[in-house]
Amino acid sequence: MSEALSHRDRCAIAGIGATEFSKDSGRSELTLAAQACRAALQDAGLTVADVDGVVSCDYDLVSYGAIADALGIADLTYWGQTGPGGSGPCAMVGQAVAAILSGQATTVLVYRALNGRSGRRYGLGAPDPDARVGGRGAYEEFFAPYGLVTPGQFFALLAQRHMSTYGTRYEALAEIALACREAANRNPAAQMHERALTLEQCLAARPISLPLRLFDFCLETDGACAVVVTSAERAADCAQPPVLVRAVAQSTGPRVQPGVMYPMLMRPDITVTPSQTVARTLFSRAGLGPSEVDVAQIYDCFTITVLLQLEDYGFCAKGEGGAFTESGALRPGGALPINTAGGNLSEGYVHGMNHVLEGVRQIRGTSTSQVTGAEVSLVTSAPPPGTSALLLVRG
Amino acid sequence: MSGMFNDVAVLPLMPVEDDHDTGGFFAAARRGELALRFCSECGQLLHLPRQVCFACGGARSEWRAVPGRGRVHAWTTVTHQVHPAFPTPYTVVLVDLEEIDARLVGSLPGEAELEVGQPVRVRFDRAPDGTTVPNWEVEA
Repeated sequence: MSEALSHRDRCAIAGIGATEFSKDSGRSELTLAAQACRAALQDAGLTVADVDGVVSCDYDLVSYGAIADALGIADLTYWGQTGPGGSGPCAMVGQAVAAILSGQATTVLVYRALNGRSGRRYGLGAPDPDARVGGRGAYEEFFAPYGLVTPGQFFALLAQRHMSTYGTRYEALAEIALACREAANRNPAAQMHERALTLEQCLAARPISLPLRLFDFCLETDGACAVVVTSAERAADCAQPPVLVRAVAQSTGPRVQPGVMYPMLMRPDITVTPSQTVARTLFSRAGLGPSEVDVAQIYDCFTITVLLQLEDYGFCAKGEGGAFTESGALRPGGALPINTAGGNLSEGYVHGMNHVLEGVRQIRGTSTSQVTGAEVSLVTSAPPPGTSALLLVRG
Repeated sequence: MSGMFNDVAVLPLMPVEDDHDTGGFFAAARRGELALRFCSECGQLLHLPRQVCFACGGARSEWRAVPGRGRVHAWTTVTHQVHPAFPTPYTVVLVDLEEIDARLVGSLPGEAELEVGQPVRVRFDRAPDGTTVPNWEVEA
């Protein structure tokens, strides 16, 4: 394979915007998306007249046409979609970078909007009890007939295998939930801002799909997040200090398997995710390594998702995620403070688009759990089927 | 390998049986056989099943019966009911097949007491209309 052209430091996130996070937004996904996009433009000191591109994920109900029309964009010259929700946000920024560096757009809005609580609830699982399952390339017929119908059950299998293979303790998973909650308690915008959480509560919480319990699961959220991506030169003239995209990467890893999530259970080692291969590409493109990361927003649909990624990104060896986590590494002042706005577990579940916003805040120095002097900020998106990740640095 | 049928009144979430890539798996199950798809040209196992071969590029493949024995790879006991077809608790199990590098899923009633590596054998859960799904039970 020939070497890719470098995008290092050539584009920037110039603006970030979000709606409130709630259980019932009382408005459509389109309204949420438009409000988050306008907030991101205002933050950047730009207007709708500057926008010529949009990127979303293929789960989003808000189409490129709908958002262009709702914002009054004069002419959209680029639109793109990435894979499914959680794996999307960093890849969405990557697609905006690609559009800008290939001359197809100058200013791109990247958005995610969902009524994840008042609308369709992902945790309920998709299949209709009266319909046959499978076909159309999704391979659900190998999983759903056995009652394997939700992402939580999928990740519970990974957690059980990790625990039996490496002796990982449940307390390590609880520590991930607690680190996220501590950050949310400092973030007034977080859904769990006013709700304390203790280890005792985690251990005593009702089981959902063992070994996972209630606080191992992310929230269900109505809300939207958006960012404005533009060239580094243009970002230098915007209202906020530019946050450069040092590197962005996507990866499936080998034998990715078809479908969206459950077929990943057919891979040889279910405790290894495509985050392992995306990390290699990401750090290589950035000219940086895991030891240079000051703060990380690690995709957390479930606590175990974080633990596996800590290993796959090289913050510790495979199998040592439990010990690394229980050392206190993820807390403020630790080796790797994570999810400093609260993450999907305690800020809100905007499919990890909220993680991109918080990654930007850490470089700007405006997080409610600011890591002093943070210069390298990692953002990750969900592992299955493929995944994506982003390294942000100061302009 | 022919296996034991288990006639059930209801098979929750019955599989599509006529998919070009996967249908043969369920056709074999109706015969009491556990079958996986292999490339007819280079012999590569194609699991999850699809017609085309990633190893040699061929488009001729066939279903071959495989031993209906395996070992527990991982499991989860589901205690929070989210789907009306699956009353809790029940235990979803991942099974590594013996003698072949493939994994399948099964479902056991209740909070199954399992260990990694525990031997299991196939069983064919058959609905009144004949639709059949391979499932797994702990070796006695």
